[in-house]
Amino acid sequence: MPPLELLLQQAWNGVMLGVMYALVAVGFTLFFGVLDVIHFSHGDIFMLGAFTGLTVLAGLRAAGVGGALLALPLTFAASILVTGAVGVLAERVCVKPLARASPLMTLLATLSLGLVIREAVLIFYPRGADPKPFPRLLPQGGVELGGVAIRYENLAILGIGLAAMVAVDLVIRRTRMGAAIRAVAQEPEAAQMMGVNLDRTVDATFFLGSGLAAVAGILSGLYYSEIHFIMGVTGGVIGFSAAAIGGLGNVYGAIIGGLLFGVLQTTAAALIPRGSEFRDVVAFAVVMVFLVFKPSGLLGEKSVERV
Amino acid sequence: MSLLEVTGLTVRFGGLVALDGVDVVVAEGETVGVIGPNGSGKTTLFNALTGLLAPAAGDVVFLGRRLTGLEAHAIARLGIARTFQASRLCLDLSAFDNILIGMHARRRTGLLDSVVRRGRLVGEMRAAIERASHLLALFNRDLPRRGFERVGQLPQIDRRRVEICRALAAGPRLLLLDEPSAGMNPEETAELMRDLRIVRDEMPGLSVVIIEHDMFVIEGVSQRVVAFNYGRKIAEGSFAEVARHTEVRAAYLGTETAHA
Amino acid sequence: MSRDLAGVWLTEAAVFTLVVAGILAERPWALGATGGALVAAGGLVRFVPRLGAALAGAFARRRAAALAGGAVLALALPLALRSSPYWTFVATLALLYVTTGQGLNFQIGTAGVINLAGAAFAGLGGYAVGLLTVAGGWPAWLAVLVGPWAAVLVGTILFVPILKTRGHYLALVTIAFVFIFNILVNNLEFTGGPQGIKNIPTLSLAGYAFTTRPALAGVELPAHANFYYAALVMAGLTTWVLRRLHDSWLGLALNTLRDDEIAARCCGVSVTRGKLLAFSIGNFFIGLGGAFYAVVVGFVSPPDFDFGYSLVMLSVIIIGGVDSIPGVVLGACLLVPLPERFRFLHEYRLLLYGVVIVVMLLYRPRGLWPARIRRYR
Repeated sequence: MPPLELLLQQAWNGVMLGVMYALVAVGFTLFFGVLDVIHFSHGDIFMLGAFTGLTVLAGLRAAGVGGALLALPLTFAASILVTGAVGVLAERVCVKPLARASPLMTLLATLSLGLVIREAVLIFYPRGADPKPFPRLLPQGGVELGGVAIRYENLAILGIGLAAMVAVDLVIRRTRMGAAIRAVAQEPEAAQMMGVNLDRTVDATFFLGSGLAAVAGILSGLYYSEIHFIMGVTGGVIGFSAAAIGGLGNVYGAIIGGLLFGVLQTTAAALIPRGSEFRDVVAFAVVMVFLVFKPSGLLGEKSVERV
Repeated sequence: MSLLEVTGLTVRFGGLVALDGVDVVVAEGETVGVIGPNGSGKTTLFNALTGLLAPAAGDVVFLGRRLTGLEAHAIARLGIARTFQASRLCLDLSAFDNILIGMHARRRTGLLDSVVRRGRLVGEMRAAIERASHLLALFNRDLPRRGFERVGQLPQIDRRRVEICRALAAGPRLLLLDEPSAGMNPEETAELMRDLRIVRDEMPGLSVVIIEHDMFVIEGVSQRVVAFNYGRKIAEGSFAEVARHTEVRAAYLGTETAHA
Repeated sequence: MSRDLAGVWLTEAAVFTLVVAGILAERPWALGATGGALVAAGGLVRFVPRLGAALAGAFARRRAAALAGGAVLALALPLALRSSPYWTFVATLALLYVTTGQGLNFQIGTAGVINLAGAAFAGLGGYAVGLLTVAGGWPAWLAVLVGPWAAVLVGTILFVPILKTRGHYLALVTIAFVFIFNILVNNLEFTGGPQGIKNIPTLSLAGYAFTTRPALAGVELPAHANFYYAALVMAGLTTWVLRRLHDSWLGLALNTLRDDEIAARCCGVSVTRGKLLAFSIGNFFIGLGGAFYAVVVGFVSPPDFDFGYSLVMLSVIIIGGVDSIPGVVLGACLLVPLPERFRFLHEYRLLLYGVVIVVMLLYRPRGLWPARIRRYR
């Protein structure tokens, strides 16, 4: 049994990962809420957010904007806008048109769209096959708290991630658009009769979810100091897993699911032999078992097929 | 001799009691009409009988066998066939394929015959298609010619016929019809009643339980009527008797005829 | 009568000639001319209704002759491709995709059991061959026959998820499975880690090694010709078996399960039996393709069987036509050789697959060769 400090350290690391997973998972759950589909290219949208962020940073540096305090907010804003727009485009091209077809169709279409985004970055980004170093813009150094090393960088990532979640929560609960999203998620026909513009609401949802994925992408770059075109595959699968664990359609469930998945990964890494290699085997095996025995997730409602 | 005996059947959805201690008996060759307002438990009764829902209490005995605890496909193989209120045909498959699946449980050839002793399978399939044609022709003499078309290309009334043929193809002892006239106009409903009489003439031993909102259909085809309300059986007897029943009038006729 | 026969065989010979000419054409204008001729011929059949109907009728009336003609031409292909031996290898790969594609199509297309772990099951077949031959010292041909059973056996792990989950959840479970498979083979010692298993012995029957260049009446065939013929037999048998299963009670029951599970159950179809049978039969053929791949290339390694490969297998089905058995053949025969022929496209291969699938799903969801109504012949 590893010492308690190690477990605490791993739990803290897990929370860090979990925040990023949660941001991706919220997108999955929002899309499922309004259209009842799983947008499988969302993971690659997350990757695109990271690459857009990197490009913006490079551009800012070339323009002489060096300070992190100015560069970071600009980077987040630009990447959210661009990635959000790509998300809306993806929805218009191959999610919405197929939303009424069988789930197999949307599944295949969005999987393929993810492939297109991934390959496009690989081919068209300069030397896209290599991992790209991501600049360290957050304060370095850290403190030790009860045997757990806490880096300032990580605190900043946590803060940004939490801020993004609170912002989304406010948008969903306090704004007109948020009310429309909730209405469509609950009862699309009724929402339309009440005068909710379905197309605009769906667009807004995809913008919001994809923007969150962009935030997650940049945070991931800051955390690992590196991004890679392939990161969206695992990122997407983990995000979907987190959303499913939490219960598809439930935003808080997605956040809890993301944190759980992160902690599960890091504690598995600490507890099993050669854990860093096999941690994902454990994590995915748990997801499989979870889906079989609790398919509605922690906070989801069970949907019963009408006979 | 009674074919089906239902005693004390109770179905719960969470805290909601959808069926509350229902007793129903169906005799061989009999047609029983089931009426009641929406949500009174009629379809729930069918779902419990066919094994799609597990009852919380009560017994279903069919041909002397207890059905409770059996899976839906096992119950179907014992000789209970049904249709659904909202059509459940495979619209991408041909009309023949939709009927053939009804005969699936009585197939004689196995996987090996499908691959190597192909002649046996082809022979059985030919006979099955012939039987499907015969069933279709009972209702509409032009329908067998369209047997190899996708069922989605057929008009609504013919789809309903294909669905009834699928149920009949299984060679059931008991046929459950869940509101066959749903979504039909008066002319189509009249055709449907004619179809149901054809079924009865062709298969005199077959017992039928039919859920209907249309009182003319119920009056026209059923020998006995059972009325439901709030998951309980509130009346039973001939159509005239049930229609006179005060509780039925209050629960059902009062509301239904008002907006009929 | 004999006009039908002439029409069928002439059409087949013309397509064959154009395809071979297209493959072998070295100068761009020659390639352009043959490509143009193929497109023009296709357009003619498509947009001159009388010609199209006449040909369709001829092929329908002369099915046996058409199949025989196709078989003869398939046998003659290595002979025609002698001047460019690499193409016999590409054709062999296409036949491997036919085999795995048919298996996957039986699961996804026929039974609606979504399986995005095709790469893992092909990998199980391939790794089983690698382990049995290299570590176990088995002869390659025996390993190829036994290997697919590894896919079937390990597939039983997914039996419970398949019965308990559906749609997107099942997709997620199978994706998780392919990830787990890849991490495991990448990190376990006995699978050779990232290096994989090398030096898998070649197929040999009664002392005759398949790498020998066969000679036919003094004409030497390309080096891969033996593998090509073995793959042809394998793909042919797979297609034949699955076509017969598709046009049988099983195929009908699986289609019904796919379209409406509740209706199927009420018709006496056992969901458990149907789904598990479809999944296991499919895995057998996917594993068979993987097993054969191992002996053709002589090694297996993790990147050969990653999630991306699942997506390529899926593209074969969608381009050909979901649940369509001839469609899978067509899909594999288009998807594998085209990027090889247009090498400048090779880099964009996956990108193009993705775009083509999205476009197909939006505008031609039934594929290039849609599934036909069953006739039970």
